[in-house]
Amino acid sequence: MSLFGSMNRMVTITINKNQYLAEEGEIFLLTAMRLNIDIPHLCYEKALEPYGACRLCMVDVVTCGKTTMTPACTIKVHNGLEILTDTPEIIKHRSLLFELYLAEAPKSEVVREMAAKYGVTKTRFLKKIVHDDPLLGKCILCGLCVRVCNEIMGTCAINFINRGPYTVINTPFFEQNPDCAGCAACAQVCPTNAIVFDDRGSNRIMQSWSHTTVPLATCSSCRKSFAPEKLMQKVLNNLEPEIIEEIRTLCPECRRKLITRKEVGKIPKS
Amino acid sequence: MRIQTPEDLDSVRKNGLKKIQPGRPRIGIGTSSCGIAVGGIALYDRINEIVQNENHDISLVKTGCIGFCKEEPIVSVSIPGKALVLLRKVHQEDAEKVISLALQGDVPSDRVLCKISDWDHITGNLVYGNGFDSIPEYEEIPFFAHQKKVILRDSGLINPEDIDEYIGIGGYFASFKALTSMEPDAIIDEVKRSGLRGRGGAGFPAGLKWEITKKAPGEEKYIVCNADEGDPGAYMNRNEMESDPHMLLEGMLIGAFAMGVHEGLIYIRAEYPLAIERLMLALEQARLYGLLGKNIFNTGFDFDIRIATGAGAFVCGESTALAASIEGKTGRPRLRPPRLTEKGVFGKPTDLNNVETWCNVPVIIAKGASWYSSIGAKGNTGTKVFSLVGKVDNVGMVEVPLGTSLHSIIYDIGNGGALGREVKAVQTGGPSGGCIPVRLFDTPVDFENLNKVGTMMGSGGLVVMDEDTNMVDIARYFINFASGESCGKCVPCREGLKHMLLILNRIVAGKGTHEDINLLKELSETVQKTSLCGLGQTAPNPVLTTMQYFLEEYDDLISPEA
Ligand SMILES: Cc1cc2nc3c(=O)[nH]c(=O)nc-3n(C[C@H](O)[C@H](O)[C@H](O)COP(=O)(O)O)c2cc1C
Ligand code: SF4
Ligand code: SF4
Ligand code: FES
Repeated sequence: MSLFGSMNRMVTITINKNQYLAEEGEIFLLTAMRLNIDIPHLCYEKALEPYGACRLCMVDVVTCGKTTMTPACTIKVHNGLEILTDTPEIIKHRSLLFELYLAEAPKSEVVREMAAKYGVTKTRFLKKIVHDDPLLGKCILCGLCVRVCNEIMGTCAINFINRGPYTVINTPFFEQNPDCAGCAACAQVCPTNAIVFDDRGSNRIMQSWSHTTVPLATCSSCRKSFAPEKLMQKVLNNLEPEIIEEIRTLCPECRRKLITRKEVGKIPKS
Repeated sequence: MRIQTPEDLDSVRKNGLKKIQPGRPRIGIGTSSCGIAVGGIALYDRINEIVQNENHDISLVKTGCIGFCKEEPIVSVSIPGKALVLLRKVHQEDAEKVISLALQGDVPSDRVLCKISDWDHITGNLVYGNGFDSIPEYEEIPFFAHQKKVILRDSGLINPEDIDEYIGIGGYFASFKALTSMEPDAIIDEVKRSGLRGRGGAGFPAGLKWEITKKAPGEEKYIVCNADEGDPGAYMNRNEMESDPHMLLEGMLIGAFAMGVHEGLIYIRAEYPLAIERLMLALEQARLYGLLGKNIFNTGFDFDIRIATGAGAFVCGESTALAASIEGKTGRPRLRPPRLTEKGVFGKPTDLNNVETWCNVPVIIAKGASWYSSIGAKGNTGTKVFSLVGKVDNVGMVEVPLGTSLHSIIYDIGNGGALGREVKAVQTGGPSGGCIPVRLFDTPVDFENLNKVGTMMGSGGLVVMDEDTNMVDIARYFINFASGESCGKCVPCREGLKHMLLILNRIVAGKGTHEDINLLKELSETVQKTSLCGLGQTAPNPVLTTMQYFLEEYDDLISPEA
């Protein structure tokens, strides 16, 4: 089956009593999404190992007639896999989890919309109100920002603080953290858009992270501020020295122009 | 001196025996945490002072805990040729009397608990002697009579700070036999046939876990001892380490050899300073004798054990959180699989066993699988140590064959409620367990039967509740504990337990409604079903069981207007 351009074997799986072909070894959550079978989820990110923290993607795995609730993001597709995604039991637990999220992140539109889509529009639980919450009452502690910062960027600028219901995410001691590169990858992955930052003049201010201030590089050609300096250094360190020298101080736009000019220059004039 | 030959071992044994029975009066002071808490060290110091100053011919040692914590400080007096006598509640003021009587071959009659004429250390037998006709035998004291001591066989009788005494009653002979005359696979087979199941709570067959670890690919592997023991009311493991640390080390040595592992770790909470101190000392002494380190017993086998201390988080008892904590990371559980046997500490295959699981190993090797499996019940072999606490008359450390009924433990051994109060229920398994009402006290204590009534074995805490205990308040206490100990990774546990606590607070304050009770039940079920690790999955048990067995106590707290 080269239909999906994949090297993996195609196997037969059963979802809600219907049979489908699926790629062996694929994360079941992705399979289901591709097959338009709807499973809510908030903490899965392709670039990272499954984390299984949001618990919204829980489905029933059927083995020998017995069912076990398991997060869909942690199941790998194999031949004969049988899954139920919408039993009354699952819907019941999922709805209650949504109620918990509505209470935990009362300001999050994403959560509100997702919950509403599954029929949950209000919560019976006391809403969490935190004054001056750096994450605007939107954080659901999925941990994606921490993991992207630590595992992908290798920065470790933010982490979980405290534990249990007192867990929050921020920089150590809630102080500006010089380790932060200002890459804003955290804000990119945050499923609830909880992380705020702002570019002001020649600085990027990570408001959510104790207002960590990161200087931006200024383009030597057009004089505009573009990427955080530290991030630029990090990226450039991975390139060949000659290339670095040419583009070190250019913003993406000026860089593009330079490279285009060079490439055009290479075309033999006929 | 390094012990390499059977002769070496035997000469240390003889020497150790001489320390236990020195041919002059020997006084042992119960100095486990329970004894120390009520003045054990002060008593030891006072007796020591007198013995030194007056140059008495008396041997004074620290011992562990014989289990009857209610009667601590317990003092053992053994006079050559006579039965060993246990004295109860001995304090500093009694020091002079104890010494002068001991020198005359006697004991203070107003402090007498019982006598021991001979003792089965299982790995060895000790005959003390007779005499003291008016003093009851150990077996005649109900608290002791219904117990069977396998794990606690040495507790309170030997000096835990002296390896010679452990060897004196046959310690390290099992490891000598295992390393010098058994194939590793035969050891695993013996443990499998013994039926030993993990004592950390889940009851996973120990031999099978060893086999899986052994078969896991890779050269570098670890064995780990889980000494995190965080359940409120449970202190079995602490006592095992404080009273007989070499039993644990020997168990790990045998396990390491069987699995072909060269590095062992004991993960222990920093709140157990005495256990850590005695383990450190035990490790040092074992290394000096060559029982740890390179080329143990001249077999070419290398193994050593290090201690990793935790900051006392309950969740760090969970296997994956424990591994993270050892690696220096935050103790947060991760998804399983992969299990530790596949990807454990520092990513290497790891066998994790509870303290008491390891402690069972030396006797299994010494006496054989069929001897072991004849104790206890089918599928639940061996004994289990429980800490019997709460509103029970006889508080202490209790060891019984698995399958013994709750009734026998609480009434025959525990003598029922404290201060003559009526017992109402018992909580087993700590924050993960449930509350069982008196009418179900016929339940045999084993892994499956406890599950059937909605609770679990856990590591072995038994908290007794009497007629004055409010069961809703008990549920509230445990949810408060679990919520405070939740790592915060997954929403049902982090947020769900918090809201359960808020609802319970409301109910206990008399401000709850019937809707609150329903919501509490609904929430309990979701937390149980959707949490990531065992902490969240089991945390609602105290609520669910108190609702199942004591619902009227919830209803009573709802005001009629609500
Ligand atoms: C929240 C939690 C706490 C635990 N605490 C302990 C503990 O303190 N000691 C322990 O031996 N096992 C504890 N366990 C069980 C361990 O994860 C593991 O199953 C056990 O140590 C395995 O050893 P065993 O097979 O010898 O029982 C805990 C489990 C959970 C989920
Ligand atoms: S800030 Fe966003 S990404 Fe980070 S834990 Fe909260 S919800 Fe997840
Ligand atoms: S169940 Fe609780 S302790 Fe376990 S991972 Fe979830 S939040 Fe952490
Ligand atoms: S996406 Fe699967 S648990 Fe969050």
